[in-house]
Amino acid sequence: MGTVLIQLVVDGLAMGMVYVLLASGFNLVIGISRILFIAYAQFYMLGAYILWGLMVPLKFPFPIALCAATLAPAILGGIIYLVIFQYIQYKEQQFLTNIVAAIGLMMLMAQGAFFVFGTESRGMASVFAGMVDIVGIRISVEKVWLIGLTFAVLIGLHLLLQKTRIGRAMRAVSYSADVAALQGVNSNMVYFATMVVGCALAGFAGGIMAPVFAVSPTMGNVILLIILVVMLGGVGSMPGAILAGLILGLTLSFGQYFGSDIGAYIGARGSGGGLAQIFFFAVIGIILFFRPGGLLGQPMEEIPL
Amino acid sequence: MDNLWKKYHFNQISMRFIKLISLIILVVILAVVPLVVHNPYYMHLLIMVGINSVLAMTFILMLRTGLISLAIAAFWGIGAYASALLSMRLSLSFWLALPASAIISGIFAFFIGYLLVKQGGFGFIIQTLAIGFIIVLVFGTFDVFGGYVGIVGIPPPDPIRIPFLASIHFISKTPYYYLMLFLLLIVVLAFSAFYAAWTGRAWRAIGLSPRLAESLGVDLFRYRLLAFVIASTAAGLMGSFYTHYFQAIVPATFGPFKTIYVHVYAILGGIGFPILGPVVGSLIMTIVPEILRVTEAAEPIFTGLLIILLIMFLPNGLLGLSSSWQRAAHPSENLAKVGRWIKTSLPASISNHQNRK
Repeated sequence: MGTVLIQLVVDGLAMGMVYVLLASGFNLVIGISRILFIAYAQFYMLGAYILWGLMVPLKFPFPIALCAATLAPAILGGIIYLVIFQYIQYKEQQFLTNIVAAIGLMMLMAQGAFFVFGTESRGMASVFAGMVDIVGIRISVEKVWLIGLTFAVLIGLHLLLQKTRIGRAMRAVSYSADVAALQGVNSNMVYFATMVVGCALAGFAGGIMAPVFAVSPTMGNVILLIILVVMLGGVGSMPGAILAGLILGLTLSFGQYFGSDIGAYIGARGSGGGLAQIFFFAVIGIILFFRPGGLLGQPMEEIPL
Repeated sequence: MDNLWKKYHFNQISMRFIKLISLIILVVILAVVPLVVHNPYYMHLLIMVGINSVLAMTFILMLRTGLISLAIAAFWGIGAYASALLSMRLSLSFWLALPASAIISGIFAFFIGYLLVKQGGFGFIIQTLAIGFIIVLVFGTFDVFGGYVGIVGIPPPDPIRIPFLASIHFISKTPYYYLMLFLLLIVVLAFSAFYAAWTGRAWRAIGLSPRLAESLGVDLFRYRLLAFVIASTAAGLMGSFYTHYFQAIVPATFGPFKTIYVHVYAILGGIGFPILGPVVGSLIMTIVPEILRVTEAAEPIFTGLLIILLIMFLPNGLLGLSSSWQRAAHPSENLAKVGRWIKTSLPASISNHQNRK
């Protein structure tokens, strides 16, 4: 039983890492530029497809493919900000208008992926095969790498936000765009940089997940889960996003293992995943009821309409 | 001052008259549509436009009070499942299940709203999103609701027997169309009544500035909860109609993505137009993909592109074009408007007291 528990914890951490990466990027975008960027998970899908395309048909090595999978969505995200959101961001009712523009972008990219890549999901051989023994518990090397790479990226993100000039500007704009502008911060530049960094994180997450899960055009549907994770952690709070992502990963991994037994008692059907998700959403609702700003965040003010 | 008030009053009366006339003309035009359109597929599209525009109206109703709900489709689904279960398990007639499911949806909305509406703002968006998820999962997971394959074989509405005349059977699309029109009319009239009464003025005041409205004595929580319950009741009503029209439902229909589409309908039409905006928006979003169906698979690509272009160049929606010709209102005029709405929405005793002074 003990071994199973530790296996479940490791599985949950590995699964949670994807949500952590995606939630950190989404958190950046919404926390700093106040764009509810629903098309965000499409960049995750794009990163996964780029990695698959470079590694399977073109036989590139993994590090180069991962770099390409990170950079291409980042560049695309920057272009999209310059072409679309730059013009909406400073208008009236920018919150609602941005959501609709992002919805349009999501439809365009999701259907574009169906059009270009086809509907079938594509798997690939895992990059780091094999298992490793850690004090008597067998864990696949892939998951260790996944957790390690994610930690490296998160530390890089932390340094970017805390130590660099653009990071300071980002934090200033997230606190108050008007006051930051009075201090000479170019908020448009900051929003642009935010979008680039956020989309790079999404592409990276797609890149490291492609060998683990199958790549399919419906990967973008994960966006609704990401929004929930960001809210649970608290908008604008990086530690909150990490904590909430890990909670989601652990809940899903434990739920899939124990859920089907519990479900049999209460007339639920299917695998335990459904029950685990219901449980997760209910917990989110209860937590947000008592802490409206999320676990580690501040309550947000009313949205200006 | 007195003169100004008279002018304002006169404007209101004439506007109300124009609105009534245009509503009657619109209803007559819509009523003759089945005589012209015979293709059942087009009739189906028009029925869906009716359902979608009611959902979009509920979105604007809540938006007026500063609530962006992502659970519209969830309450639509509660109405749909309630109606399906009532008519199949309890073998209730459709004409009883229709109001019953609307009321059930409203009761759910009251209890859920009582917990959520207090926060408003961003927390509300995400909690309603969570509810949007939970509803689909609950419908899909528990046996009562038929799992992810949904419920099939839901009976159509019972035929209406008019004495000494033919009875109306719900076989072709035309009776469904008229039923949809009837329900749409009920919802439009009810919503207009709420907008015109003191509730509507309080809602508009809250939407323009929640803090100012609250400081002047408008109870934010009560008016927001009222808007949430009314909106969800209307959504539940349409859910019941949808169930008996399709005669089969699957949980995935009622997910948050549907709600996101509903937002698009409302915003494309123009959120400044609570009744006409949703109708225009959902009509456009239904017809344009049909025109673009030249290339089957590429259709959502064009639709997405169209949404982006429309929102970039017409951020106030299509109907916003008409008002953008007029002069933009000065902020102080907005404040004066808020004050007027609040004054007229307060209980009679308070406003009388103010007037005497």
